[in-house]
Amino acid sequence: MSVEARYAVRSVTRNARRTALAVLGIGVGVALALFMESVNRGRDELFARVGATSGSGHVRVVPGGWRARRDVRMRLADPDGALAAARALPGVTAAAPRVRAQSLLAMGTHVVPVELVGVEAAAEARVYRFAGKVSPGRWLEPGERGAVVVGRAVAERLRSDLGDEIVATAVGRGGNIESLMLRIVGIVATGGDDTDLSVSHAALADVEALTGLPGAGEVALVLDDWRATAATRDRLALAVRGGDEVMTWGEINPEFEGHLAQDRATSRFVSGIVLLVVLLGVASAQLAAVLERRREFAVLSALGMRGWRMVRLVVQEAIALGLAGGALGLALGLPAVLRIASRGLDFRSFMGQSYSFQGVVFEPILFGDVGLWIVPYALAVSVGATVAASLYPAWFAARTDPASALRVAQ
Amino acid sequence: MTLTTARMAWRNLWRNPRRTSLALAAIGLSLALVLVYDGVLRAYADWMRETITGPLLGHVQAHAPGWRKDRAMDRTLRGTGEALRAVRGAPGVASASARVYAPALAALGEEGFAVLVLGLDPAAEARPTGLLAAAPERPAGKRVLMGKALAEVMGVSKGDVVALVGQGADGSLANDLFTVAGLVSTSVDLVNRQAVLMELPVAQELFAMPDEAHEIVVHGSDPGASRALAAAVASLPALAGAEVMDWERLAPEMLALVKFVEIAWVFVLVLVFVAAAAGVANTMLMSTFERTRELGMLLALGARPRRIVALVVSEALVLGLAGVLLGVALGGGLVAIGHRTGWDYQALTGQGPSELSFAGLRWSLVLYPRLALADVLRGAGAVLATALLAAAWPASRAARLEPSRALRS
Amino acid sequence: MTVQGRSPVVLAWLLLAPLAAAAAPPEPDVPALLRHLDDLYRSRSSIARIEIAVVNPRSTRTMRLKAWTRGEEEVLVLVEAPAREEGTATLRVGQNLWNWLPRISRTLRVPPAMMLSSWMGTDFTNDDLVKESSLHDDFEAKVDRRSESPPGWWLRLDVKPGVVGRWARIDLLVSDERLPIEERHFDRKGRLARTMTFDEVKVLGGRRLPARLTLVPADAEGQRTELEYLDVAFDVKLPDETFSLSRLERGR
Repeated sequence: MSVEARYAVRSVTRNARRTALAVLGIGVGVALALFMESVNRGRDELFARVGATSGSGHVRVVPGGWRARRDVRMRLADPDGALAAARALPGVTAAAPRVRAQSLLAMGTHVVPVELVGVEAAAEARVYRFAGKVSPGRWLEPGERGAVVVGRAVAERLRSDLGDEIVATAVGRGGNIESLMLRIVGIVATGGDDTDLSVSHAALADVEALTGLPGAGEVALVLDDWRATAATRDRLALAVRGGDEVMTWGEINPEFEGHLAQDRATSRFVSGIVLLVVLLGVASAQLAAVLERRREFAVLSALGMRGWRMVRLVVQEAIALGLAGGALGLALGLPAVLRIASRGLDFRSFMGQSYSFQGVVFEPILFGDVGLWIVPYALAVSVGATVAASLYPAWFAARTDPASALRVAQ
Repeated sequence: MTLTTARMAWRNLWRNPRRTSLALAAIGLSLALVLVYDGVLRAYADWMRETITGPLLGHVQAHAPGWRKDRAMDRTLRGTGEALRAVRGAPGVASASARVYAPALAALGEEGFAVLVLGLDPAAEARPTGLLAAAPERPAGKRVLMGKALAEVMGVSKGDVVALVGQGADGSLANDLFTVAGLVSTSVDLVNRQAVLMELPVAQELFAMPDEAHEIVVHGSDPGASRALAAAVASLPALAGAEVMDWERLAPEMLALVKFVEIAWVFVLVLVFVAAAAGVANTMLMSTFERTRELGMLLALGARPRRIVALVVSEALVLGLAGVLLGVALGGGLVAIGHRTGWDYQALTGQGPSELSFAGLRWSLVLYPRLALADVLRGAGAVLATALLAAAWPASRAARLEPSRALRS
Repeated sequence: MTVQGRSPVVLAWLLLAPLAAAAAPPEPDVPALLRHLDDLYRSRSSIARIEIAVVNPRSTRTMRLKAWTRGEEEVLVLVEAPAREEGTATLRVGQNLWNWLPRISRTLRVPPAMMLSSWMGTDFTNDDLVKESSLHDDFEAKVDRRSESPPGWWLRLDVKPGVVGRWARIDLLVSDERLPIEERHFDRKGRLARTMTFDEVKVLGGRRLPARLTLVPADAEGQRTELEYLDVAFDVKLPDETFSLSRLERGR
């Protein structure tokens, strides 16, 4: 080990209190930065996940031309092929085919216009957020016909309850008007009127019969990791035929994507401020410490230590402190991060049980993100901040004029 | 603390200019950052509120009872002219105008499309945050504006003549031809996708609702006083029997959105505060501990421990005050400049669109930071207190040491 | 699947009904009676003048129409009054619906999705208008009780299983002349949803029929739709191009 390194270690251990203070300062700063980053990532993930599973799925296969026209009467050119291709891809939690129809639900003289969604019960349950929130009643059963699950606002406007039979009417192929009896087997209270009105799910086969248009109109995929959305879209696009296209949920809902982008930008801004404040704290503490050691540096200089070696000395001390500070930061921050990762930050007391905007409803509980990024992040912040903060002191130390520094009066 | 003590403290501080400057900088910059963040936080909240209430929602709305539920054409407010005069004269009202909402069929050729005809007052809606703020032309007479997305779907371009067919308030068939004077992209998604914008009196005539309207929208001079404004408007005799609500009750999901964002930012504010306090504390602790020798010398010379502490604390107080002043000047200055020129969010964050749409609105992201006195006092107070505590503790420790030990450090 | 829903309104078909005036009448032959009621307004073709009044708590609106029908697929309706809407016409051929607007000289196709909502602001839906109806085919019927005033029979109709329709049950009061007096429609939860009354029996187009139908929804306060036949001609010879767009635009 070089002289500077040995000196650095000794100097660090010699003034325990100063070292402890420095490490503590760095540690606290790093813990805060870590916490902030975990919360930011958790929020990104929350919105992305919720947006995707509230109906869109992360990725969707749609008919060619749907992107512009958005007509529910369009059908996939090769629905079975698309479904098979989707299920064959790695990283796909579930793939569900669907068909939609502009329809009118009626009970007596009460009517509600809805977009009736024909689904495959089992596959949809793994993709659709509200399939597990049916109360009273239950979700659709595989192979069941003549059943429908509706949102509470729909049932209320129809003056209907669980078990009632309603008439579903739709305009199908060639402008034909067809009707079907559907029994309400489940009611979903999503927490928002608008979202309630989007819940009216029946068997795919029933909606096919109603519209006279066979086949699925879309295949929705939910992925294990939402971050793989774009990559999965690209891979699936190669596998689908017949002019069918693949879109990410961001492309389907550009508004929600816009919100996410803004959110991400905001969290970067905020992280920046927190990091800046941490850097400031570390820098000033470091500087204070170095300033107090003027005499020490003067002696070293008088003993012949050249400028750049002193810089190296200071920087090595800084690295040592940074590593120790980073370790402390992890020790302080990790418990907090793990706690909010498992229990989450619960905003429900401020905002009510669920929070809805843009037709998306979710519980405002934010789960922090934990991952391999934590350790590198902590070390980068602590060592980076400490070294950056020690650059001025290092330069300053190298320039110390021994004679003036050793004068008694300070 | 007397003036002499203060002056002594000040002189003491400057005997070690570097240490003092450093501590000053630490306190000042930390406080400045906290204030800047606070300023941006307030700007964000203001901006959200204004964007939400600006175009369609307004601060207060009045409707005939039951209209919001079923949007029936014949549930109208009667005597609109008189009502508007009365509302405009009420205290706290900045502007008021009326609107008609009529579902209709629009056709360029033979194919009919479901649209919403929005009859409005072009002058009132051309305000900077209004619906027609960015409109190429104002609707007048038989010239109407169409939402851009709707026009795309219908294949309509500027200058085309469209037929509008709907049901009048008396149930009769309303139909006429209109020229599309321009296409609009407003900040309200519903308007862009579905609406045809028409001058109010023309809509009233088309849909057989003379001197009637579906909605009266009011903007107050103080956006924060919407509830009081709603109460004031509701008490006007011209609006007796009408349902009058402030925007928070009309769009609770918008309110929830604003609250959610505010909570998130306050949460971060706390983090920023803690980080700043930690930095200041670290600095003060460090400097004070480094003075142990000096303090030891004073002890050896016979100074009493209590006086040592008092000395350090008074220095810290003067330093703190000076640092706070610096921070307020710097932070306040940055906020003031930002307030005048506005900060483009995109430039600030380096990414993200400069115009966004969510919650059905298109938001243009220029922030105007501002500070309330409470923010400044809170920030300054917290930083000052931190500095004092962070100086007092090591000083009291040093003061209780034996002089010889202190001198040795 | 068969669909039911009564529509004695604009689609007017007719079969001559033997009129029986009985003193102490025996219970009617229910299936035959239902067939008779189904065919009451049916004909191969018809021309009718009709007055419709839509009443709600806020206003009353009256329209006078002239209607041509052929079979079950073709209908042309021309508005004669009020003056504001005079000359407006609606043409239905199969599942297509067009409006002719004389004021702006334009023909508009009504998008299929809009056909599901209420017809011309009345309590009837397009549903009522475009569906085939059959009391005979879709319901199990039996005599419920005798009514002395007005004299007639109350029939109880319960929808057959497998039939797609809004009404689970219809209570029907038929006069001794075998003409409907009142129909009560019950929804699928067994609640009374709406009541139709038939009165002003007179000779129309050679048949004896109730000329006025009133439809009252059960839970809408003060709301009803009244339809009155001013005159009707059944099984008339109609020119081939009666139900065409060009004819629509030329008007009459």
